[in-house]
Amino acid sequence: MKLAAIWAFIAGDSKRAPLGVALAVALIFALERWAPQAGAWIGALFVALIGAALVAGVFERAD
Amino acid sequence: MNGWLLGSTAFLASAVEAVEALTIVLAVGVTRSWRSALSGAGWALATLAAIVIVLGPAIVAYLPFAALKTAIGIFLLLFGLAWLRKAILRYSGRKALRDETAMYVRQLSVLGGAAGAAGLPGPDRLGFITAYNAVLLEGLEVALIVLTFGASSALALRWASLGAALAAIVVVGLGFALRVPLRRVPENALKFTVGIMLTSFGTFWSGEGLGVVWWRGDWSLPLIAAAFAAISGATVAAARRAPLAARSAA
Repeated sequence: MKLAAIWAFIAGDSKRAPLGVALAVALIFALERWAPQAGAWIGALFVALIGAALVAGVFERAD
Repeated sequence: MNGWLLGSTAFLASAVEAVEALTIVLAVGVTRSWRSALSGAGWALATLAAIVIVLGPAIVAYLPFAALKTAIGIFLLLFGLAWLRKAILRYSGRKALRDETAMYVRQLSVLGGAAGAAGLPGPDRLGFITAYNAVLLEGLEVALIVLTFGASSALALRWASLGAALAAIVVVGLGFALRVPLRRVPENALKFTVGIMLTSFGTFWSGEGLGVVWWRGDWSLPLIAAAFAAISGATVAAARRAPLAARSAA
């Protein structure tokens, strides 16, 4: 099975939503290690970023 | 982890896949024979069981827990977001609602048309392969859901397996009792709900794997789900009003 087919099987046909997830994960990873005051706010930020990724995926244009 | 919540999520997710597989198995049974349809489904389930027995424990045993949680969480996030996005697009009118009856009729037509075509496998073999592929594909999706949900503990695996098994029993039992495609199951509502739950579990687990300390432990999950439900509802409303120039590629 081709990688593209596996990817489409998991993530669907959106480009923005997976990109948003990748950015959110990278940011949370960085914040958990280097933020001066890590706390519950990071979890809330993570939820908000995933929500933003979903909205971006819904409104993405056809290429 | 809340066992009931986990089990019900696995139940709903598995029910969606079971409905899709059952639609094709019914079509094979009606056009070819129930023998080829049921033997195809049976062999697919056996193949599936072998895959899960061989790969399941290996996946859980040899990966570091935090990395496993992060990877599983991201996988569920991507999977859940894809479902949720499609359900939102359908609710907002930007994508046609999935029609199980149309799928069933299309499947009937494909199988019926292939009957007289030269060079194609015989009726029983074609029916067998069609049912086998459908059940294996949808079953793999269920197995992925159960294994990922159950990777956190043996108890979680039991809850997820129970949810998936109940879904299979309920959907198949209902389907064969009625002998018609499950056209009355509101699939988009199911997909919308499951998308929210998968996305919530994915966010929770990948967050934990990354080191996030959730403000109410496991009880943050319903709050996260409520947040995603609110975001999704608002997105449906906004997408209905937005100009069609922003139409999705889906």
